[in-house]
Amino acid sequence: MSQPDSDRSPSESSRRILSALADGDATDGEAARAFQAWRDDADARATWHTYQLIGDVLRSDDLACRPKANEAFLVALRARLADEPVVLAPQPRAVDPDVAAPAAANAGATVRARGRWQGPMAMAAGFLAVITGLNIVRPFSHGTDGALASNAPASSPLMASATAVNNGGVVAAAQQTPAQTKAAADQLAPYLAAHRQSAMNAPFQMPDSDLRNVSLVQPAQ
Amino acid sequence: MTMLNPDPDAALVERVKQGDVRAFEMLVVKYQRRIERLIGRMVRDVDLVADIAQETFIRAYRALPQFRAESAFYTWLYRIAVNTAKKALVDLKRDPVTTLTALQGAEDDDETYRAGLEPTDGETPEALLASKEIAATVNAAIAALSEDLRQAITLREIEGLSYEEISDVMNCPIGTVRSRIFRAREAIAERLRPLLDTREGNRW
Repeated sequence: MSQPDSDRSPSESSRRILSALADGDATDGEAARAFQAWRDDADARATWHTYQLIGDVLRSDDLACRPKANEAFLVALRARLADEPVVLAPQPRAVDPDVAAPAAANAGATVRARGRWQGPMAMAAGFLAVITGLNIVRPFSHGTDGALASNAPASSPLMASATAVNNGGVVAAAQQTPAQTKAAADQLAPYLAAHRQSAMNAPFQMPDSDLRNVSLVQPAQ
Repeated sequence: MTMLNPDPDAALVERVKQGDVRAFEMLVVKYQRRIERLIGRMVRDVDLVADIAQETFIRAYRALPQFRAESAFYTWLYRIAVNTAKKALVDLKRDPVTTLTALQGAEDDDETYRAGLEPTDGETPEALLASKEIAATVNAAIAALSEDLRQAITLREIEGLSYEEISDVMNCPIGTVRSRIFRAREAIAERLRPLLDTREGNRW
Protein backbone atom coordinates (compact mmCIF):
# COMPACT_ATOMS: atom_id res chain seq x y z
CA MET A 1 0.00 0.00 0.00
CA SER A 2 1.46 3.33 -0.96
CA GLN A 3 2.06 5.87 1.75
CA PRO A 4 0.12 9.16 1.53
CA ASP A 5 2.21 12.02 0.16
CA SER A 6 1.55 14.11 3.27
CA ASP A 7 3.50 11.58 5.38
CA ARG A 8 6.62 11.83 3.28
CA SER A 9 9.43 14.34 3.26
CA PRO A 10 8.53 17.44 1.24
CA SER A 11 11.21 16.61 -1.26
CA GLU A 12 10.01 13.06 -1.90
CA SER A 13 6.41 14.19 -1.98
CA SER A 14 7.31 16.82 -4.54
CA ARG A 15 9.17 14.29 -6.67
CA ARG A 16 6.23 11.87 -6.58
CA ILE A 17 3.95 14.61 -7.82
CA LEU A 18 6.39 15.56 -10.58
CA SER A 19 6.51 11.93 -11.64
CA ALA A 20 2.71 11.79 -11.83
CA LEU A 21 2.55 15.12 -13.67
CA ALA A 22 5.07 13.86 -16.22
CA ASP A 23 2.58 11.11 -17.05
CA GLY A 24 -0.48 13.36 -16.95
CA ASP A 25 -1.78 11.66 -13.82
CA ALA A 26 -1.53 14.48 -11.29
CA THR A 27 -4.70 15.85 -9.71
CA ASP A 28 -5.43 19.57 -10.03
CA GLY A 29 -4.10 20.20 -6.53
CA GLU A 30 -0.95 18.18 -7.17
CA ALA A 31 -0.38 19.95 -10.47
CA ALA A 32 -0.66 23.32 -8.74
CA ARG A 33 1.96 22.19 -6.21
CA ALA A 34 4.22 20.99 -9.01
CA PHE A 35 3.98 24.35 -10.81
CA GLN A 36 4.85 26.10 -7.58
CA ALA A 37 7.77 23.74 -7.02
CA TRP A 38 9.06 24.46 -10.52
CA ARG A 39 9.05 28.15 -9.70
CA ASP A 40 10.58 27.96 -6.25
CA ASP A 41 12.66 24.81 -5.93
CA ALA A 42 15.84 24.18 -7.90
CA ASP A 43 15.76 20.53 -6.86
CA ALA A 44 12.29 20.16 -8.32
CA ARG A 45 13.49 21.67 -11.61
CA ALA A 46 16.47 19.31 -11.68
CA THR A 47 14.19 16.36 -10.89
CA TRP A 48 11.78 17.27 -13.68
CA HIS A 49 14.70 17.43 -16.13
CA THR A 50 16.11 14.13 -14.90
CA TYR A 51 12.79 12.31 -15.22
CA GLN A 52 12.29 13.65 -18.73
CA LEU A 53 15.83 12.74 -19.70
CA ILE A 54 15.32 9.20 -18.40
CA GLY A 55 12.19 8.84 -20.51
CA ASP A 56 13.96 10.14 -23.59
CA VAL A 57 16.97 7.84 -23.14
CA LEU A 58 14.67 4.86 -22.62
CA ARG A 59 13.10 5.64 -25.98
CA SER A 60 16.39 6.29 -27.75
CA ASP A 61 20.05 6.54 -26.77
CA ASP A 62 20.32 9.38 -29.30
CA LEU A 63 18.43 11.63 -26.93
CA ALA A 64 21.00 11.42 -24.16
CA CYS A 65 22.73 14.71 -23.55
CA ARG A 66 24.29 16.67 -20.73
CA PRO A 67 22.00 18.95 -18.75
CA LYS A 68 24.37 21.81 -19.52
CA ALA A 69 23.11 21.92 -23.11
CA ASN A 70 19.48 21.78 -21.99
CA GLU A 71 20.08 24.46 -19.42
CA ALA A 72 21.73 26.81 -21.93
CA PHE A 73 18.82 26.28 -24.29
CA LEU A 74 16.28 27.10 -21.59
CA VAL A 75 18.17 30.19 -20.40
CA ALA A 76 18.23 31.54 -23.96
CA LEU A 77 14.57 30.74 -24.47
CA ARG A 78 13.64 32.36 -21.15
CA ALA A 79 15.20 35.61 -22.36
CA ARG A 80 13.11 35.47 -25.53
CA LEU A 81 9.94 34.50 -23.68
CA ALA A 82 10.44 37.50 -21.41
CA ASP A 83 9.91 39.71 -24.46
CA GLU A 84 6.74 37.91 -25.44
CA PRO A 85 3.34 39.09 -24.27
CA VAL A 86 1.56 36.72 -21.95
CA VAL A 87 -0.35 34.30 -24.15
CA LEU A 88 -3.70 35.45 -22.83
CA ALA A 89 -3.02 39.13 -23.43
CA PRO A 90 -5.97 40.46 -25.48
CA GLN A 91 -3.86 41.71 -28.34
CA PRO A 92 -4.55 40.86 -31.97
CA ARG A 93 -1.70 38.87 -33.37
CA ALA A 94 -0.72 38.51 -37.00
CA VAL A 95 -1.15 34.99 -38.31
CA ASP A 96 2.17 33.27 -38.64
CA PRO A 97 2.13 31.16 -41.81
CA ASP A 98 4.41 28.58 -40.24
CA VAL A 99 2.07 27.88 -37.42
CA ALA A 100 -0.97 28.25 -39.63
CA ALA A 101 -0.95 24.61 -40.65
CA PRO A 102 -0.77 23.27 -37.12
CA ALA A 103 -3.27 25.86 -36.09
CA ALA A 104 -5.50 24.64 -38.89
CA ALA A 105 -5.84 21.40 -37.02
CA ASN A 106 -7.41 23.51 -34.35
CA ALA A 107 -9.15 25.86 -36.70
CA GLY A 108 -12.57 24.84 -35.58
CA ALA A 109 -11.55 26.17 -32.23
CA THR A 110 -11.69 29.77 -33.20
CA VAL A 111 -15.00 29.22 -34.89
CA ARG A 112 -16.32 27.51 -31.80
CA ALA A 113 -14.96 30.26 -29.58
CA ARG A 114 -16.80 32.74 -31.78
CA GLY A 115 -19.77 30.41 -31.58
CA ARG A 116 -19.98 31.00 -27.86
CA TRP A 117 -20.99 34.58 -28.66
CA GLN A 118 -23.07 33.71 -31.66
CA GLY A 119 -25.77 32.01 -29.60
CA PRO A 120 -26.70 34.95 -27.39
CA MET A 121 -26.19 37.42 -30.24
CA ALA A 122 -28.43 35.39 -32.53
CA MET A 123 -31.08 35.22 -29.84
CA ALA A 124 -30.96 38.99 -29.33
CA ALA A 125 -31.10 39.55 -33.08
CA GLY A 126 -34.03 37.13 -33.26
CA PHE A 127 -36.02 39.08 -30.71
CA LEU A 128 -35.25 42.30 -32.56
CA ALA A 129 -36.43 40.70 -35.79
CA VAL A 130 -39.62 39.50 -34.12
CA ILE A 131 -40.42 42.97 -32.81
CA THR A 132 -39.65 44.50 -36.21
CA GLY A 133 -41.72 41.81 -37.86
CA LEU A 134 -44.69 42.51 -35.63
CA ASN A 135 -44.50 46.18 -36.47
CA ILE A 136 -44.50 45.33 -40.18
CA VAL A 137 -47.34 42.85 -39.88
CA ARG A 138 -49.54 45.01 -37.60
CA PRO A 139 -50.79 47.58 -40.18
CA PHE A 140 -52.06 44.79 -42.39
CA SER A 141 -53.63 42.76 -39.65
CA HIS A 142 -55.59 45.37 -37.77
CA GLY A 143 -58.38 43.63 -35.96
CA THR A 144 -57.44 40.18 -37.09
CA ASP A 145 -53.81 40.00 -36.07
CA GLY A 146 -53.60 36.35 -35.31
CA ALA A 147 -55.74 35.11 -38.13
CA LEU A 148 -54.02 37.09 -40.85
CA ALA A 149 -50.59 36.31 -39.61
CA SER A 150 -51.23 32.63 -39.20
CA ASN A 151 -52.79 32.36 -42.64
CA ALA A 152 -50.03 34.28 -44.38
CA PRO A 153 -47.31 32.14 -45.87
CA ALA A 154 -44.16 32.41 -43.85
CA SER A 155 -42.10 33.31 -46.86
CA SER A 156 -39.30 34.86 -44.87
CA PRO A 157 -37.66 34.09 -41.57
CA LEU A 158 -39.04 37.36 -40.33
CA MET A 159 -42.57 36.29 -41.08
CA ALA A 160 -41.92 32.84 -39.72
CA SER A 161 -40.88 34.35 -36.42
CA ALA A 162 -43.90 36.61 -36.35
CA THR A 163 -46.14 33.64 -37.07
CA ALA A 164 -44.63 31.68 -34.27
CA VAL A 165 -45.12 34.49 -31.80
CA ASN A 166 -48.71 35.06 -32.87
CA ASN A 167 -49.43 31.42 -32.32
CA GLY A 168 -48.42 31.76 -28.73
CA GLY A 169 -44.74 30.97 -28.49
CA VAL A 170 -41.27 31.59 -29.75
CA VAL A 171 -40.95 28.03 -31.03
CA ALA A 172 -41.73 27.71 -34.71
CA ALA A 173 -45.40 26.95 -35.26
CA ALA A 174 -44.69 23.93 -37.38
CA GLN A 175 -42.79 22.32 -34.54
CA GLN A 176 -45.63 22.71 -32.03
CA THR A 177 -48.14 20.01 -31.36
CA PRO A 178 -51.77 21.06 -30.77
CA ALA A 179 -51.37 20.15 -27.11
CA GLN A 180 -48.34 22.43 -26.81
CA THR A 181 -50.18 25.25 -28.54
CA LYS A 182 -53.15 24.91 -26.20
CA ALA A 183 -50.89 24.84 -23.18
CA ALA A 184 -49.14 27.98 -24.38
CA ALA A 185 -52.46 29.68 -25.01
CA ASP A 186 -53.65 28.74 -21.53
CA GLN A 187 -50.51 30.27 -20.08
CA LEU A 188 -50.92 33.45 -22.08
CA ALA A 189 -54.63 33.95 -21.37
CA PRO A 190 -54.25 35.53 -17.92
CA TYR A 191 -51.33 37.60 -19.18
CA LEU A 192 -53.36 39.03 -22.06
CA ALA A 193 -56.37 39.57 -19.84
CA ALA A 194 -54.22 41.56 -17.44
CA HIS A 195 -52.98 43.67 -20.32
CA ARG A 196 -56.49 44.41 -21.48
CA GLN A 197 -57.48 45.35 -17.97
CA SER A 198 -54.44 47.54 -17.64
CA ALA A 199 -55.17 49.28 -20.94
CA MET A 200 -58.77 50.00 -19.91
CA ASN A 201 -57.68 51.42 -16.56
CA ALA A 202 -54.90 53.52 -18.04
CA PRO A 203 -54.84 57.04 -16.54
CA PHE A 204 -54.25 58.59 -19.94
CA GLN A 205 -55.56 57.63 -23.34
CA MET A 206 -53.17 56.53 -26.05
CA PRO A 207 -53.95 57.38 -29.67
CA ASP A 208 -55.98 54.69 -31.39
CA SER A 209 -53.31 53.96 -33.89
CA ASP A 210 -50.84 53.01 -31.17
CA LEU A 211 -52.94 50.95 -28.79
CA ARG A 212 -55.03 48.04 -29.88
CA ASN A 213 -56.66 45.11 -28.20
CA VAL A 214 -54.87 41.85 -28.66
CA SER A 215 -56.69 38.62 -29.19
CA LEU A 216 -55.29 35.14 -29.33
CA VAL A 217 -56.56 32.92 -32.09
CA GLN A 218 -56.13 29.23 -31.51
CA PRO A 219 -55.25 27.19 -34.53
CA ALA A 220 -57.64 24.53 -35.71
CA GLN A 221 -57.19 21.35 -33.64
CA MET B 1 1.15 9.46 -29.89
CA THR B 2 -2.51 8.99 -30.47
CA MET B 3 -5.47 10.59 -28.82
CA LEU B 4 -6.73 7.24 -27.59
CA ASN B 5 -5.34 8.26 -24.22
CA PRO B 6 -5.76 11.70 -22.69
CA ASP B 7 -2.91 14.05 -23.51
CA PRO B 8 -0.43 13.78 -20.62
CA ASP B 9 0.46 17.43 -21.19
CA ALA B 10 -3.07 18.72 -20.79
CA ALA B 11 -2.52 20.14 -17.30
CA LEU B 12 0.67 21.91 -18.35
CA VAL B 13 -0.92 23.32 -21.50
CA GLU B 14 -3.91 24.61 -19.57
CA ARG B 15 -1.62 26.23 -17.05
CA VAL B 16 0.28 28.05 -19.79
CA LYS B 17 -3.01 29.18 -21.31
CA GLN B 18 -3.87 30.71 -17.97
CA GLY B 19 -0.79 32.89 -18.32
CA ASP B 20 1.87 30.89 -16.46
CA VAL B 21 4.91 31.20 -18.70
CA ARG B 22 6.99 29.15 -16.26
CA ALA B 23 4.78 26.14 -16.92
CA PHE B 24 5.79 26.47 -20.57
CA GLU B 25 9.39 25.98 -19.46
CA MET B 26 8.42 22.55 -18.16
CA LEU B 27 7.15 21.65 -21.63
CA VAL B 28 10.38 22.97 -23.15
CA VAL B 29 12.49 20.81 -20.84
CA LYS B 30 10.32 17.85 -21.71
CA TYR B 31 10.44 18.19 -25.48
CA GLN B 32 13.62 20.06 -26.33
CA ARG B 33 15.70 16.96 -27.06
CA ARG B 34 13.05 15.35 -29.26
CA ILE B 35 12.41 18.56 -31.16
CA GLU B 36 16.12 19.13 -31.72
CA ARG B 37 16.56 15.60 -32.99
CA LEU B 38 13.62 16.04 -35.36
CA ILE B 39 15.03 19.30 -36.71
CA GLY B 40 18.50 17.79 -36.90
CA ARG B 41 17.17 15.24 -39.37
CA MET B 42 16.01 18.04 -41.64
CA VAL B 43 18.81 20.57 -41.16
CA ARG B 44 22.38 19.45 -41.16
CA ASP B 45 23.89 22.53 -39.62
CA VAL B 46 24.06 21.94 -35.88
CA ASP B 47 24.14 25.66 -35.18
CA LEU B 48 20.89 26.13 -37.01
CA VAL B 49 19.22 23.27 -35.17
CA ALA B 50 19.22 25.06 -31.83
CA ASP B 51 18.06 28.31 -33.44
CA ILE B 52 15.19 26.58 -35.21
CA ALA B 53 14.26 24.73 -32.03
CA GLN B 54 14.14 28.05 -30.18
CA GLU B 55 11.99 29.54 -32.90
CA THR B 56 9.74 26.49 -32.75
CA PHE B 57 9.07 26.94 -29.06
CA ILE B 58 8.51 30.67 -29.41
CA ARG B 59 5.98 30.09 -32.19
CA ALA B 60 4.30 27.37 -30.19
CA TYR B 61 4.05 29.71 -27.22
CA ARG B 62 2.48 32.42 -29.36
CA ALA B 63 0.02 30.01 -30.95
CA LEU B 64 -0.87 28.15 -27.76
CA PRO B 65 -4.12 30.08 -27.18
CA GLN B 66 -5.36 28.55 -30.44
CA PHE B 67 -4.40 25.02 -29.42
CA ARG B 68 -7.65 23.16 -28.79
CA ALA B 69 -6.29 19.75 -27.82
CA GLU B 70 -7.74 18.06 -30.90
CA SER B 71 -4.36 16.41 -31.21
CA ALA B 72 -1.74 15.71 -28.56
CA PHE B 73 0.38 18.71 -27.67
CA TYR B 74 3.50 16.98 -28.92
CA THR B 75 1.92 16.24 -32.31
CA TRP B 76 1.01 19.90 -32.62
CA LEU B 77 4.50 20.99 -31.53
CA TYR B 78 6.02 18.52 -33.98
CA ARG B 79 4.14 20.15 -36.88
CA ILE B 80 5.32 23.58 -35.85
CA ALA B 81 8.91 22.30 -35.71
CA VAL B 82 8.65 20.79 -39.20
CA ASN B 83 7.16 23.98 -40.65
CA THR B 84 9.73 26.16 -38.94
CA ALA B 85 12.57 24.00 -40.22
CA LYS B 86 11.13 24.06 -43.77
CA LYS B 87 10.85 27.83 -43.66
CA ALA B 88 14.43 28.12 -42.41
CA LEU B 89 15.64 25.95 -45.29
CA VAL B 90 13.72 28.04 -47.83
CA ASP B 91 15.11 31.24 -46.34
CA LEU B 92 18.57 29.77 -46.44
CA LYS B 93 18.25 29.01 -50.16
CA ARG B 94 16.88 32.47 -50.87
CA ASP B 95 19.44 34.26 -48.78
CA PRO B 96 22.37 31.94 -48.03
CA VAL B 97 23.86 32.77 -44.67
CA THR B 98 27.28 31.59 -43.68
CA THR B 99 26.63 29.88 -40.40
CA LEU B 100 29.09 29.44 -37.60
CA THR B 101 29.73 25.86 -38.57
CA ALA B 102 30.36 26.75 -42.18
CA LEU B 103 32.68 29.55 -41.13
CA GLN B 104 34.58 27.18 -38.93
CA GLY B 105 35.15 24.77 -41.80
CA ALA B 106 36.29 27.56 -44.10
CA GLU B 107 38.79 29.00 -41.66
CA ASP B 108 40.46 25.83 -40.46
CA ASP B 109 43.77 27.21 -41.64
CA ASP B 110 43.37 30.43 -39.72
CA GLU B 111 45.54 30.13 -36.64
CA THR B 112 43.90 33.09 -34.99
CA TYR B 113 41.78 31.96 -32.06
CA ARG B 114 38.18 33.10 -32.32
CA ALA B 115 36.06 32.22 -29.35
CA GLY B 116 32.86 32.61 -31.37
CA LEU B 117 33.88 29.75 -33.59
CA GLU B 118 34.12 27.13 -30.90
CA PRO B 119 32.10 24.04 -31.68
CA THR B 120 28.80 23.90 -29.86
CA ASP B 121 28.51 21.71 -26.80
CA GLY B 122 26.48 19.07 -28.59
CA GLU B 123 29.33 18.13 -30.90
CA THR B 124 32.43 18.28 -28.73
CA PRO B 125 34.10 14.94 -28.02
CA GLU B 126 33.54 15.49 -24.30
CA ALA B 127 29.83 16.07 -24.84
CA LEU B 128 29.50 13.00 -27.02
CA LEU B 129 31.31 10.92 -24.42
CA ALA B 130 29.10 12.30 -21.66
CA SER B 131 25.98 11.49 -23.69
CA LYS B 132 27.12 7.92 -24.21
CA GLU B 133 27.86 7.60 -20.52
CA ILE B 134 24.39 8.86 -19.64
CA ALA B 135 22.76 6.40 -22.01
CA ALA B 136 24.83 3.51 -20.66
CA THR B 137 23.98 4.46 -17.07
CA VAL B 138 20.25 4.61 -17.75
CA ASN B 139 20.32 1.25 -19.52
CA ALA B 140 22.33 -0.33 -16.70
CA ALA B 141 19.93 1.11 -14.13
CA ILE B 142 16.96 -0.29 -16.00
CA ALA B 143 18.56 -3.71 -16.13
CA ALA B 144 19.10 -3.60 -12.37
CA LEU B 145 15.43 -2.85 -11.58
CA SER B 146 13.07 -5.45 -10.22
CA GLU B 147 10.77 -6.99 -12.80
CA ASP B 148 7.73 -5.04 -11.56
CA LEU B 149 9.46 -1.68 -11.68
CA ARG B 150 11.10 -2.36 -15.05
CA GLN B 151 7.83 -3.47 -16.59
CA ALA B 152 5.95 -0.44 -15.23
CA ILE B 153 8.45 2.16 -16.47
CA THR B 154 8.85 0.40 -19.81
CA LEU B 155 5.11 0.24 -20.44
CA ARG B 156 4.83 3.92 -19.60
CA GLU B 157 7.89 5.45 -21.29
CA ILE B 158 8.45 3.14 -24.24
CA GLU B 159 4.96 1.81 -24.98
CA GLY B 160 3.22 5.02 -23.96
CA LEU B 161 0.45 3.28 -22.02
CA SER B 162 -1.65 5.23 -19.54
CA TYR B 163 -1.67 4.33 -15.85
CA GLU B 164 -5.07 2.73 -16.31
CA GLU B 165 -3.83 0.55 -19.16
CA ILE B 166 -0.73 -0.42 -17.21
CA SER B 167 -2.87 -1.37 -14.23
CA ASP B 168 -4.85 -3.68 -16.54
CA VAL B 169 -1.71 -5.20 -18.01
CA MET B 170 -0.01 -5.66 -14.65
CA ASN B 171 -3.22 -6.54 -12.84
CA CYS B 172 -2.67 -4.09 -10.02
CA PRO B 173 -4.30 -0.88 -8.77
CA ILE B 174 -3.50 2.43 -10.46
CA GLY B 175 -1.95 3.70 -7.23
CA THR B 176 0.53 0.83 -7.36
CA VAL B 177 1.37 1.67 -10.98
CA ARG B 178 2.00 5.26 -10.01
CA SER B 179 4.23 4.20 -7.13
CA ARG B 180 6.19 1.68 -9.21
CA ILE B 181 6.88 4.19 -11.95
CA PHE B 182 8.03 6.75 -9.41
CA ARG B 183 10.33 4.23 -7.69
CA ALA B 184 11.75 3.15 -11.03
CA ARG B 185 12.49 6.76 -11.97
CA GLU B 186 14.07 7.40 -8.60
CA ALA B 187 16.28 4.32 -8.86
CA ILE B 188 17.52 5.37 -12.30
CA ALA B 189 17.91 9.01 -11.25
CA GLU B 190 19.98 7.96 -8.25
CA ARG B 191 22.57 6.43 -10.57
CA LEU B 192 22.33 9.29 -13.01
CA ARG B 193 22.70 12.25 -10.66
CA PRO B 194 26.50 12.05 -10.27
CA LEU B 195 26.76 12.41 -14.05
CA LEU B 196 24.29 15.25 -14.28
CA ASP B 197 25.75 17.36 -11.48
CA THR B 198 22.32 18.76 -10.89
CA ARG B 199 22.99 19.12 -7.18
CA GLU B 200 25.63 21.77 -7.74
CA GLY B 201 23.98 25.11 -7.35
CA ASN B 202 20.74 26.23 -8.85
CA ARG B 203 21.44 24.95 -12.31
CA TRP B 204 17.84 25.16 -13.47
